[in-house]
Amino acid sequence: MDLRYSEEDTEFRARARAWLQTHVPPSPRPPRGRAAADFDRAWQRKLYEHGWAGVAWPKEYGGRGLSALQQVIWYEELARARAPHHVNTTYVALMHAGPTLIARGTEEQKAYHLPRILSGEALWCQGFSEPNAGSDLASLTTRGVVDGTDIAVTGVKMWTTDAQHADFQELLVRTDPASRRHHGLTWLICDMRSPGIEVRPITTMLLDEHVNTVFYNEVRIPQANVVGEIGDGWSTALATLAFERGTGFIGDQLELYERVQRVIGLAKQVRFEDGRSAIDHDDIAERLASLKADTMAIRAMTLASIAEIDRSGVPGPKGSLMKLMVTSTHKALSEVVGDILGWEFLEFDGDRAAHPWTYDFLWSWVYTIAGGTSEIQREITADRLLGLPRAR
Amino acid sequence: MFLAPDGAEIEIADTAAKFLSRAIPLDRLHGTGASPALGASLRADFAALGWFGLVLPEADGGSGLSAVEHALFYREVGRHCGPVDILAQGLAAMVSGDRRLRAALLAGEQGVALAIEDGPTLRLLGSHDAALALHVERSEARLLDVSAIETGPRPSLDPATGMRTIVRGTPRPLAVSSGGEVWSLGQLGVAAMQVGIAETALALIVDYAKVRETFGRKIGTYQAVRHACADMALRAEAARCQLWSAAAALKERRSDAHAHLDAAKHLANRAAVMNADVDIQLHGGIGVTEEHHAHLLLKHSVLLARLFGSKRALLARLLHAEIEV
Repeated sequence: MDLRYSEEDTEFRARARAWLQTHVPPSPRPPRGRAAADFDRAWQRKLYEHGWAGVAWPKEYGGRGLSALQQVIWYEELARARAPHHVNTTYVALMHAGPTLIARGTEEQKAYHLPRILSGEALWCQGFSEPNAGSDLASLTTRGVVDGTDIAVTGVKMWTTDAQHADFQELLVRTDPASRRHHGLTWLICDMRSPGIEVRPITTMLLDEHVNTVFYNEVRIPQANVVGEIGDGWSTALATLAFERGTGFIGDQLELYERVQRVIGLAKQVRFEDGRSAIDHDDIAERLASLKADTMAIRAMTLASIAEIDRSGVPGPKGSLMKLMVTSTHKALSEVVGDILGWEFLEFDGDRAAHPWTYDFLWSWVYTIAGGTSEIQREITADRLLGLPRAR
Repeated sequence: MFLAPDGAEIEIADTAAKFLSRAIPLDRLHGTGASPALGASLRADFAALGWFGLVLPEADGGSGLSAVEHALFYREVGRHCGPVDILAQGLAAMVSGDRRLRAALLAGEQGVALAIEDGPTLRLLGSHDAALALHVERSEARLLDVSAIETGPRPSLDPATGMRTIVRGTPRPLAVSSGGEVWSLGQLGVAAMQVGIAETALALIVDYAKVRETFGRKIGTYQAVRHACADMALRAEAARCQLWSAAAALKERRSDAHAHLDAAKHLANRAAVMNADVDIQLHGGIGVTEEHHAHLLLKHSVLLARLFGSKRALLARLLHAEIEV
């Protein structure tokens, strides 16, 4: 057990820090819409051109092939430099689609898509959830009919983040109409410009339109776009989700400590009605100190999970615990901010840059629901980590 | 960078686990004949395997191991609600400057209680026959001779910990050690014991949920139980990982070791007390009986929560602490 970085890791950190110092965009990310997507693409392009794209990807696919620890170092430095957040419109492409294609894609699929993903040229979205299949994803009903060399897709997907900006979609459909649950599903690469696709934005409580409903009317997708085997889409999808719960949150995990420190700074500045600063109130001080301990634990959990990957080669079943910890800490921190700030916390028009703390407060529910709700994470923990008997 | 037990560390933890489940099984704390005393014969057993000298330099007769092995050992002690005398004895050997006294402590010939400030007086935790007591503050530790003073036993909520107060007389200091090392190892040891309690509480309810049936189903199938268990697992995981951070930071003498220790103690307190609480609740009626282990974990954890940094003190320090990346 040790906390020492090797010379190689220390040098890597220094290189990352030096590069970020001179390359982080000076202007903030536009809050929404096409401008935000363009900003994300441009930042990804810059990372790509300077060899910082796909730090976690194998070298043969254009990545840096870094160790799990160096990935953590990279994310720590991104957070430290206040670089553009990696959960943006490139997230699904880089954190889901890319790793899934690397694991299960054909050589042709990899050769075409991976460079486009890494360079920010292609944005992806995820077509898993449906109006009646969210937590219970295996009950999905969007139909794929094998027709010659194509699969014709008809149905509805929902909660599709950034569908309006995406070039491609990871699309999970039922190709065997007689099948039930997780059998008979197929994982497809769907070109979002295909005829028969309609994207309708959903306005969320954040007053933005980052999620959508996507309608498919006989959308023809070539069989060459099947990832894995026809009928074996569930196992491909699980590979994707395990990745999201395992390592997809590393950046946020490490940024939370910095965020607590910023809120402590805020609490020193803000004065309450009694004339004393917020930090001089025991309830505020105790909650913030306790949250700081939580963020330290999150960092320790991240490093411990990397030790586990080093030992066993795969992320263990603790990714769900990590998501629970990160999202509940995020929410509790947003609530403290609400208690520190006065009425300005209740000013909100959807502009993230103008009202960052209020936006964050609202975002905390996205966090505890998207990517598997907290309840589903507890179920996964009960099943896979604790081995409790199942009722489902 | 490897934040998990590894190699020889795992072997030491396994050896400790085997020894402790034989030496101090939780069963010892049940019934009217239960005794919290570490006692001369148990002390000799611990001493024979060198547990009191784990972190003492080899030149002083110890094993010369680090804060990491210390944390791993006390986590196992915690699983059995091990008496705090064990920790007091090990720390006392670090404080004692006298070779002969140190040898007697390492050999378990002398017992050591933990002395805690309580208003103007001291409260002694541990075996009633201990002639010595260790009083640890953040920057100083004092080994006291309590053999000549009059003490009175107090009824202890925690069956694992004997409790006395001083009735008359002032303890005579035998040795003083300045610097924060004794405090740090004490804090780490108690945090580790709390992690052991949090893990044991989880293990007890998970085992029970797999066999106990209500309404014709195993209770482990009910989400009211499953989700509470998942939250216990999370509290234990967070506390355990932060314990590793603190142990490694202390071993490597990092400048932020104190912040890691305070965070570890705070998270371990919370995990132990809350998991012990939920363990009783989910067991239902059987959970409030004397014969069940569940209450032992709760009672021991609320006592340990007050040692080496209460919630208030820990959080006050953490608020202004900074860690290195």
